[in-house]
Amino acid sequence: MSEENDHGSGSVGHGDTSQRVGVEVVRERGGDPEAIREKLVDAIGAEFTTYYYYTNLRCYLAGKEDYKEITEDARLEDRAHFELVMPRVFELGGQLPNDIRDFADRASCPDAYLPDDPTPENILETLLEAERCAIRTWAEVCDMTRDCDPRTYDMAQRIYNEEVDHEAWFIELLSRERDGEANPAGHFVRGEPGDAPYSTNNRLNESA
Amino acid sequence: MRYTVELVVPDDCEVERVADGAAVDVERAVGEAASGPNGHAVSLAGETFELEVDEDEYVLWAARNAGVWLPADCQQGWCCRCAGELRSGELDQTDSRRYFEEDRDAALHLLCTATPASDCRIRVCQYEAMLEERASHDLPPGRSKR
Repeated sequence: MSEENDHGSGSVGHGDTSQRVGVEVVRERGGDPEAIREKLVDAIGAEFTTYYYYTNLRCYLAGKEDYKEITEDARLEDRAHFELVMPRVFELGGQLPNDIRDFADRASCPDAYLPDDPTPENILETLLEAERCAIRTWAEVCDMTRDCDPRTYDMAQRIYNEEVDHEAWFIELLSRERDGEANPAGHFVRGEPGDAPYSTNNRLNESA
Repeated sequence: MRYTVELVVPDDCEVERVADGAAVDVERAVGEAASGPNGHAVSLAGETFELEVDEDEYVLWAARNAGVWLPADCQQGWCCRCAGELRSGELDQTDSRRYFEEDRDAALHLLCTATPASDCRIRVCQYEAMLEERASHDLPPGRSKR
């Protein structure tokens, strides 16, 4: 019987914890894991700030309960997007900014401030443009990762799906509110608030 | 009013052009760039591309409509991914969500929300330069990414 040898481990040394195969395989396929992870920090910065701003926007939709509920779905799903991708930043060798101000500065989409005149129409316009920025962001992440990083790509396309849902909702509501026109999204709100049917992360408990 | 805008593409910038204007991913298609015929993207690295842009048209979209897939992300004048350096001419940056006088002083612009106010010559792919410039003035997002 021969002696047992350490098995080979590709470009990462046997037992080496200073490198990650999950990073190197991205590089080997032509991807730039450092660029991807920095883009992810910017993108989830936008999800996190949007979650905050939507909290405020939602409050000013009082009396428009249907608008409030849909904004709540979008708000919670944006948080779900942050939660889904955050671990991937660490997996790719990155970290979250220590100071939340840096995180907000880096957000790849504009702050969704409450409009000076917070009418339902103006708030819906703000929500719509925020969703459009998110769609573009996650489409870019999909482009960066499609052929080299299936794990990030899978996350990005799940989030992209929900951002497109959100845009459709706010187009529908704004068309009715501002223009008096029917412009259906073609679907309904989630089964539970912020269901995130594509992107829900593994939850630690019911409150997560 | 229409203006002539020259886009100067640095050697290390992977901007590509598709002859029929169909969009392709600029960062992924590097390996295909050499094969110009059959609808493949052609690299513009080291080249200058000239296009006509209406006075109320964003430079980014005039370029993309011409098949030149300049980098961009938010397209709201915020994230800086589309930054370019204005070598000559004048750009209006009124529609940008986050643009500073320091940017203008450094001749750096956000092409996603920039409209021409004259004929222009622009060096594209200046995201890193924009981040450095913002950081040097303690402005976002550069100050948080350096």
